[in-house]
Amino acid sequence: MGILLFITVLLIAACGLIYELIAGTLASYLLGDSVLQFSTIIGCYLFAMGIGSALSRYLERGLAYRFVWIELLLGVIGGLSSALLFLAFAYTQGFQLLMYALVIVIGVLVGLEIPLLMRMVRGRYHFRDVVAHVLTFDYLGALGASLIFPILLVPYLGLVRSAMLFGIINVAVALWSTFLFAHQLVKARALRAICFVVLCGLAIGMAQAKHITTAAEDNIYADEIIFARDTRYQHIVLTRFKDDIRLFLNSHLQFSSRDEYRYHEALIHPGLSAIPAPRRVLVLGGGDGLAVREILKYPQVESITLVDLDPEMTRLFSTHPMLTALNQKSFLSPKVHIINADAFPWVDSNPDSFDFIVVDFPDPTNYSLGKLYTTAFYKAAARHLSVQGLMVVQSTSPMFARDSFWCIAQTIQQAGLRIYPYHVYVPSFGEWGFVLAGGHEYQFPASVPSGLRFIDVRGLQNLFQFPPDMAPLSMPANHLNNQVLVRLYDQDWKDISH
Amino acid sequence: MTLSRRQFLHSASAALIGLSAKSDRLITGSFVNDSFQLGHQLRDHARFPAPKQVVKIPVLIVGGGMAGLGAAWRFEKKGFTDFIVLEMNERAGGNSRWGENEITAYPWAAHYVPVPGPKAVYVRELFEDLNVLKNGEWEERYLCFAPQERLFLYGRWQEGIEPAIGLNQKDRDQFQHLEDEIHKFRSSGKFTVPMELGLSENTAALDQISFAEWLRDQGLDSKILNWYMNYCCRDDYGATTDQTSAWAGIQYFASREPEEKGPLTWPEGNGWIVRRLLERVGRFVHTGEMVHRISQQKNRISVFAGPTEYQAEFVIFAAPSFLAPYLIEGMPRLEDFEYSPWLTANLTLERLPASYGGDPTWDNVFMESPTLGYVDATHQSLRTHVDRTVWTFYWALAEGTPAQNRQLLLDRDWTYWKEAILHDLGRVHRDIGQCVSRIDVMRMGHAMARPKVGAIFSAERRRLARQRGQILFANSDLSGFSIFEEAQYRGVTAAETVLRALSGLRSVHENRA
Repeated sequence: MGILLFITVLLIAACGLIYELIAGTLASYLLGDSVLQFSTIIGCYLFAMGIGSALSRYLERGLAYRFVWIELLLGVIGGLSSALLFLAFAYTQGFQLLMYALVIVIGVLVGLEIPLLMRMVRGRYHFRDVVAHVLTFDYLGALGASLIFPILLVPYLGLVRSAMLFGIINVAVALWSTFLFAHQLVKARALRAICFVVLCGLAIGMAQAKHITTAAEDNIYADEIIFARDTRYQHIVLTRFKDDIRLFLNSHLQFSSRDEYRYHEALIHPGLSAIPAPRRVLVLGGGDGLAVREILKYPQVESITLVDLDPEMTRLFSTHPMLTALNQKSFLSPKVHIINADAFPWVDSNPDSFDFIVVDFPDPTNYSLGKLYTTAFYKAAARHLSVQGLMVVQSTSPMFARDSFWCIAQTIQQAGLRIYPYHVYVPSFGEWGFVLAGGHEYQFPASVPSGLRFIDVRGLQNLFQFPPDMAPLSMPANHLNNQVLVRLYDQDWKDISH
Repeated sequence: MTLSRRQFLHSASAALIGLSAKSDRLITGSFVNDSFQLGHQLRDHARFPAPKQVVKIPVLIVGGGMAGLGAAWRFEKKGFTDFIVLEMNERAGGNSRWGENEITAYPWAAHYVPVPGPKAVYVRELFEDLNVLKNGEWEERYLCFAPQERLFLYGRWQEGIEPAIGLNQKDRDQFQHLEDEIHKFRSSGKFTVPMELGLSENTAALDQISFAEWLRDQGLDSKILNWYMNYCCRDDYGATTDQTSAWAGIQYFASREPEEKGPLTWPEGNGWIVRRLLERVGRFVHTGEMVHRISQQKNRISVFAGPTEYQAEFVIFAAPSFLAPYLIEGMPRLEDFEYSPWLTANLTLERLPASYGGDPTWDNVFMESPTLGYVDATHQSLRTHVDRTVWTFYWALAEGTPAQNRQLLLDRDWTYWKEAILHDLGRVHRDIGQCVSRIDVMRMGHAMARPKVGAIFSAERRRLARQRGQILFANSDLSGFSIFEEAQYRGVTAAETVLRALSGLRSVHENRA
């Protein structure tokens, strides 16, 4: 009896904590600002537990009966909490109201559990032992829950099914309590029947959970913003309109899923196809994994090193199903090594050499990003090029920011490289420019990987032709100590918007 | 006692305000690198132990600042290694000392070198050795990154420190007039870095009046122009325009070409140069050895430091010259040397203030402030993302006499200076108290030579600067003001003189043999 009793304590403690964690995680996912969400939820939950404990004194008789009912209620409410919240977010305006209501109800019920249990076993043990054992197992359960939640439950079961699993555990506790405390119960059999029915209901719910999340997600992500998060480094926003997913970093468009293939094929293939036997590739920036997707079309490439500042960005594009579908799970390839670091110091300190270097940074909108477009940076990057190596640099629009584009080209040239500027049309961006650079003469490739939608060998040379309105301009090079590019870029875009 | 309704409302709203105003962080810190205790031992003729050992060394350099290390660099480069550098502090560097925490290295004093002109050949040679100058090009990552300087005035920031906004026609005309005058002085070739190369008797009259008087004589009475002139004198000399010789005020502007490239700088300021120099000559440097007596014997010099008597043929006295009369037996007090007291502080910031305003800039100056503003130590970082940083705060105590200000430095405790610094920064960065976690303060009673009226053409200065005999003076104060180039020049020329004398002595010996 003793050990079973304490396992009961351990399980109910775990269940209580799991519901709280699920509410916090779900709110962080859907609303962002995880610090706020977790703080307020933990606060409400603990407060509600206090209410539950206070209320326990008013329960005087039929303690075992009430305990079984509390477990049943917790199983149902907690078990369905995650699914209810998902659906509420998708279909109603009352997500937060429901969430805090659920947290408070669950908190009150959990707050009742332990005091009741302690009173129920009061006669069997010394009070001293009861307190010590019950609290020990209570805290043990909490530890277990907080460990398995991030490690096992979230990745493998998901939030909806995790909640239901623990709902089932709550009901199972109710069921075995009817045996454990049979002598204190009058209508044990009826209770058992109810438990059994609820158990079946939750099990069926768990099997059908997939449908619930899909229905909710479809509605949540119908339009508008499907993801928004302030990381330590930037503001990431994903939007979807029908089948068009767009990524914005600090409100600058990074890609539209409808035409990003044009951008990324143009970024990679003119350079990489021209290298006889490329083995090692370096990508600087490119945390969306789309450039890596193109690079993986070359089986001879043995290793791809990707250096991106923001771990949340690479994690997002390694895990979010909608995004991994887009980059074809490129970050999961064993050839890919992701390094979350600031690019310039990394390039400065790393000794490796690469056959192809992709420089795909956000546009030089400020002095910090401007450092990544300087002679100093290109010199440091060029030291990593192998003898046959080439580097390609995303270089903003030669149409809308013509001064900036030719300033970047001039900067790369002054860093001691030969330059081969080219441009493509990407509908969501307009005309976009790249600079291919290397220590030797560039030869057009004889072939490109099969299955490309935009780049082909015959049309390739045309990309390197600039019509008069984008033709080369004589521009100064961008140095760390003058950062002319940031000013040019600012001016270029001001001119457009006026 | 009953509480009146009004009292209740008062206390309740006070409590609410107290709750809503963000409280400041706990700020730790202390005084660091204090060295006046050692100096005062000399001044007060403390007793020092009798020597226990004798070390014979052909050349002894007293002082491990930029002049002493400059001499050491020259010796080592010429293959001469029979010398020792004695440094009183635990670390060499003098006015180029630096510190480091988990965020960045940062300067304690001198924090940049203007791109040296063609006359500063020794500086250029040093920078070639240190790969700062390569094939005639300055290494980009050592040039100050953009944006470099800004000034807070009339409630907003402007780019650059020379006031450019809010000028009326008179101000503009006067700035133009000054520029024309400076241009004439510059083309005369008489204002150079190092100063000794261009110094001409024709300009002696300028040393007889203060810079403030000279500006008045020129009819330059624009308030904003005078603020800028005063700022420049405080920045380079730790003195106001009426405490500065007109010659020195003009030197500040006329000795350098207007330079677009911006200064050379590093996270630890000129400490970077010290570090590179110590990689080469660190093995000759004995730190924590304070010289307490120098005595000229018949054909050698005895230098007493701690328990050691060094017997040298030549001494390069690279420590501040005002110390010399306390050390060298029989040397009279110096009359013409005056020094400005300074205070610097390094502030650890957990984040930039919300009131930062604009792009992160290297040098930040407030017009309405007696201080010189602050420099950001992470500005030269190659990272694109910097959240924590260190600001070096500069305060030349220029108003009043140096003696009064030295006393103030000694009298006030750390909390006083902490509050003063936060108050000054708080004029512009209202939330600074919530951003700073640590403030370390360094007090320097004799931070830099002050080129007061008459200091440049002083007979005393010129006699000491001549570098004759067996004790050669080499501190930058022999130029009348303390800047890196002057210190290095004096150190290197002293080393050259010693090398010539030694080879002369050797050849005499060889001839006799």
